[in-house]
Amino acid sequence: MDDNRLLGLILVFAPLSILSFGGGQAIIADMQHQTVDVWGWLSANQFSDLFAISRAAPGPSTLIAALIGYQIAGIWGSIIATLAIYIPSSIVVYYATSWWQNHPDSRLKRSFERGLGPVAIGLLFAGALAIIESGPITLLMLVNLALCTAILYFTKFSPYKLVGTVALVFLGLNLVGF
Amino acid sequence: MSATKGQSQPEPDHHAPPQLETPSLWQLMMAFLKIGVTSFGGASRPMMHRESVEANKWLSDRDFIAGFALAQVLPGANPVNLALYVGLRARGVPGAAIAVLGMVLPAFCVILLMGYAYRELIAYPATHFVLAGVAGAGVAATLATGAKMATKLDRNWMTAIIALAVFIAVGVLHISMTPVVIVAIPASLAAAWVTDKGARDGR
Repeated sequence: MDDNRLLGLILVFAPLSILSFGGGQAIIADMQHQTVDVWGWLSANQFSDLFAISRAAPGPSTLIAALIGYQIAGIWGSIIATLAIYIPSSIVVYYATSWWQNHPDSRLKRSFERGLGPVAIGLLFAGALAIIESGPITLLMLVNLALCTAILYFTKFSPYKLVGTVALVFLGLNLVGF
Repeated sequence: MSATKGQSQPEPDHHAPPQLETPSLWQLMMAFLKIGVTSFGGASRPMMHRESVEANKWLSDRDFIAGFALAQVLPGANPVNLALYVGLRARGVPGAAIAVLGMVLPAFCVILLMGYAYRELIAYPATHFVLAGVAGAGVAATLATGAKMATKLDRNWMTAIIALAVFIAVGVLHISMTPVVIVAIPASLAAAWVTDKGARDGR
């Protein structure tokens, strides 16, 4: 049973690794789809919780893989998921680095730099929608989302400080009976 | 710091200027563990630049900038890709493995502790409530990044259509990502190829 879960983690995260253009944000939507709908390892609520933890934690956002792996298959799950999310993309980076250094400035290279952008942006917003849908959609949550987005877009306020502030505010709201 | 090592000869490297140094694997490990521990807060790029270009001369400024661009374009987390690139340039494949390990290990340990705390605290209703708020802040970070990135894209119909089509297919229609990108990436690369400005100047 546990072996099946470890194998499943590899099958989910290794392909996502190759597709993680722009980092973890681009693959969040599919990660949710796979772990919640396809494999049924997590509820939508749990996925939303793990996403929140990964955003509050240090390190790259792809480390959500370690968190999901730990949640469904313990320590080994977290190790296997982390290897699965880093090794395939690292192999691509390894070969691309060698190729890149031998081709100084080419039309193909510029096309890659410009052409991946729109796909990454589309995926990124799809990921944002997946998380919004998996959490409770109340007026409070929408106000929180709008305020945080405005603060991060228009000011240089650190995302980590914002996460900490929001956690404290919500803890306070919970204490007064929200 | 580099001057005190005096006579130690760097390995011959035809691409690099002669003043570059070759670190031991141990030095690489220590440097990247330090970066991994202190970059809590997302400031890993300036830390990596300091360690690999300024404090130690493992690669040139130009190489570092090229690696930074590469790390962004390729799949994978940008700081992890950049660590791999620096390790690879400094000490080949073992260097790359050690740099990535040093970069990821501290954050991995912290996230495991948080995962453990989550298991213990999930019985309390407040946990889910607070995390829903934090998830909102996390989504806000994604939206703000996306909005900033979108302003840097080319302003043409093709770019907008591709970004919108990918969003609708994956986000709204819940189609699996793999078939979507297998169609969208070649289409987007072709559009970028056709509209490439440098090609007109013969580059």
